[in-house]
Amino acid sequence: MIGLAIDSVLALGIVWMALQTVRSDSLFQAMLMFIVFGLLMSLAWARLHAPDLALAEAAIGAGITGALLLVTWRRLQVHGPDDSNGPRLMTRWLALPIACASALLVIIIGWTALQLPAVPGTAGELTLQRLEDIGVSNPVTGVLLGFRAYDTLMEMAVLLAAWLGARAVATEFRPGVLPGPAHAEVPLVGALLSLVVPISILVAVYLLQAGGSAPGGAFQGGAVLAAGGVLLCLTGRLEAAAQASALERVGVILGLAVFSLTGLIVMATGGPMLALPGVWAIYLVETALLLSIALTLVLLFAAAPGLRRAP
Amino acid sequence: MMDWVLSATALVLLLNLGVGMIRVYRGPTPADRMLAALLFGTTTVAVLLVLADWVGLPALRDVALLFVMLAAIISVAFAGLPTTDEEER
Repeated sequence: MIGLAIDSVLALGIVWMALQTVRSDSLFQAMLMFIVFGLLMSLAWARLHAPDLALAEAAIGAGITGALLLVTWRRLQVHGPDDSNGPRLMTRWLALPIACASALLVIIIGWTALQLPAVPGTAGELTLQRLEDIGVSNPVTGVLLGFRAYDTLMEMAVLLAAWLGARAVATEFRPGVLPGPAHAEVPLVGALLSLVVPISILVAVYLLQAGGSAPGGAFQGGAVLAAGGVLLCLTGRLEAAAQASALERVGVILGLAVFSLTGLIVMATGGPMLALPGVWAIYLVETALLLSIALTLVLLFAAAPGLRRAP
Repeated sequence: MMDWVLSATALVLLLNLGVGMIRVYRGPTPADRMLAALLFGTTTVAVLLVLADWVGLPALRDVALLFVMLAAIISVAFAGLPTTDEEER
């Protein structure tokens, strides 16, 4: 009974937040609605027994997206066109019919999916049965690195492509430089950094290690580590460099390189490609993925080819 | 009994979030909205901790840990914003 009430409040809140995010008059209000929407989403994932997704939502939403939106808003205030304050929502007469048709489509697909008979022996069940062969007891990590390794590898390639694309565009349209943060010299900022940045490293490693047996893993850990880097950028401790250093170049491709090499070495010794030979290989690949994900996210946040310590 | 207490606590906290939504919605200044959003984060942590016991998913405590750790980032990003007098329109 109370469970139903909780779910209803959550569902209503999520829909209302989504609506307000899209149709709010002020850009700032829409951004805050989106941040709060992320919080509610992570509660929804928690209610749906999906702590992995709740972790990812928390790390990305609270650590990176919120700060990215606020910094973008700041850039718009400083450099943007004068009318950048409102999204100018235009309602066209086609909007309502299209929305209704889309909703109908979703209902039909959902209804059909509910009518389908349950098939025994689906991939999910087989995977859970054979999880012991992989050597990790967290099904999500097992699937990501054991059963769908190729998919995970391609996700890393997508992340690399995103960074390359951002670099190509950034040289053409450099985002306007912001005036240095006014609070860089406030003593509290240093105290905050000396607390949060080491803890973000610790939590990232913890999530990586926990990923074998509990919710966690390279993606969540990487996002947490990136959040530490984002904080360093926000407080002006790290700033954009014109060129990527050799270390950064290696770091960005590290995940893809280590993953591919491990997979190819396995193939050279007679196994199927990307079949990781044991738990140590899983942790090796995950560590490389974590470092690459974190570095790529921070570079994307800074919209810069490289980073250097502020003088 | 324990289940009932935990779920009722979660519901009360969620309703608190609902009241907080009104402040995020109405503003009127960006700082009001920001503070409401930060309060939202704190209450979300409380809901997650209650849910962790009620649903029996200890991993939700990790999610709460992330929110607590990363809450400072948004306020730092906001404090770096130039002061504007954006009014409710």
